[in-house]
Order: sequence, then C-alpha cells, then structure tokens
Amino acid sequence: MSPHSIAFLVTLVASILIVVLINRLLRPGLRGLLEQVVALPAATEFYLRAFAIVVVLIALAAALDTYSELKEGARFMEYIWAIADRLKHVVEELLVVLLVYVGLITVLMAALRRRQ
Amino acid sequence: MSNEHYLIVSYFLVGLVSLCLGIVVYRVLRTPFAAIAEAATGRLRSRVLTRALGFCMTLAAALGFLSVSYNQRGCVSYEQVIKNRYFLVQNSKEQLQVTGEWIASAVFLWCIVVLICLVALRTTQANRHDKT
Repeated sequence: MSPHSIAFLVTLVASILIVVLINRLLRPGLRGLLEQVVALPAATEFYLRAFAIVVVLIALAAALDTYSELKEGARFMEYIWAIADRLKHVVEELLVVLLVYVGLITVLMAALRRRQ
Repeated sequence: MSNEHYLIVSYFLVGLVSLCLGIVVYRVLRTPFAAIAEAATGRLRSRVLTRALGFCMTLAAALGFLSVSYNQRGCVSYEQVIKNRYFLVQNSKEQLQVTGEWIASAVFLWCIVVLICLVALRTTQANRHDKT
C-alpha cells in the first residue's frame, strides 16, 4: 500500500468519525429546536436529513480533494503532518457548511416566528 | 490492468456511483419533502415539486460528474491522459468530490424551497385563523 493510500484511508476514517461526532452532538438539540419552530414533523425530519446528508457529502468530498507530498519510506511524523494537513481541509469545509446551516435555521426561525 | 482499461472502467463506474448518489439523496429526502409540499400546496402541486426534487438531485449528480475534464492540466491528447495512472485516479476522486459538492448545494437550495413552503403554510393558517 502506497503512503498516499495510507494517508487517504486514515483521513477518510477520521473524517467519518468527525461527522458521526458532529451529528450525535448536534442532532438532539437541533431536533428540539426544529420541532418547536416549524411544528410540522415532516419539516423537522427533512431538515435533519438534509443536515446529515450535507455534512457527510462535504466531509467525504473534502477528504477526496486533498493531496500531500509523501514519498516511499516516509517517517511516522511525516504521515502525521500529511494527515493533519488533509484533516485541516475537511474541518474547514465542515465549518463553512455548519455556518451556512446555522444561517438557514436562523432565517427559518425569524420567518416563522414573525408569522406566529 | 492497463491504464486504458482502468480509464474505461473507472469512468463508467464513477459515473454510475455519482448517479446512484443523487438517487439515494432523493430517496432519503422524498418522504418528508412530499409531506411538506402536500401540506403547503396540495396533492397535485406536491407531486410536481417532488418530481422536481428528484430531477434536481439527479442532474446535480450528473453535472458534478461531467464537469471534471480529462483534458485539463495540460493533457491535450488521449496518449497524455492514459500515460499516468496517478492522474487517472486523481481525476476519478475529483469527479466524486465535485458530485458531492453539487448535491450538497442542491440540498441547501431545496432547504430554501421548504422554508418558502413553510412560510406559505403558516401565512395560510394565520389568514384562516383571522377569518374565524
């Protein structure tokens, strides 16, 4: 297995773990908030599913996008730096997605609360 | 496996995976979206909107896959493209990556459509409440 493949696989596994962690931490609170704001179970389910899909797709896309210089016979810390470099890209993309989603939920709350 | 065989197999495989990804996302979102659309716009229009969701997800997946060109980065001839296996692997990864980004953008767009449906539903309910 080439050094690139090892770094890619480790990044992929780490990205999946980050996505699972984000989903587990945010989902219960997000569900409660949406249930309170939209008062329509289907809409709550739609926004929760959309959140999960977007986070998974963007994390996997960011993991696929990255490239790092790793030569045959690279030392342990060179692998760590390469993986950290790739993970930085994944976390950046996830942060942008979370900010966009927060913006969307804020607009949703503002629009629906005004009409309550 | 020669590079040319790899190119043919990976191109069609990645294309299929991209389309399947779009269809899977549509199937995951279809049920809650149909319920929202039906509550907001009625049965007939909800069917149109649900079909539009399906088309949009499939087209986003196809667009993501097709938007990556093998002739980029200075490779102008077929021989140059199939010379380097690493380039072919990178291109397949890029096709999947762009597909994911396009589908995510489409999902955000449909979140806005749902927001508009919810606002319309809430306005209708408020108007009915005012009349009674």
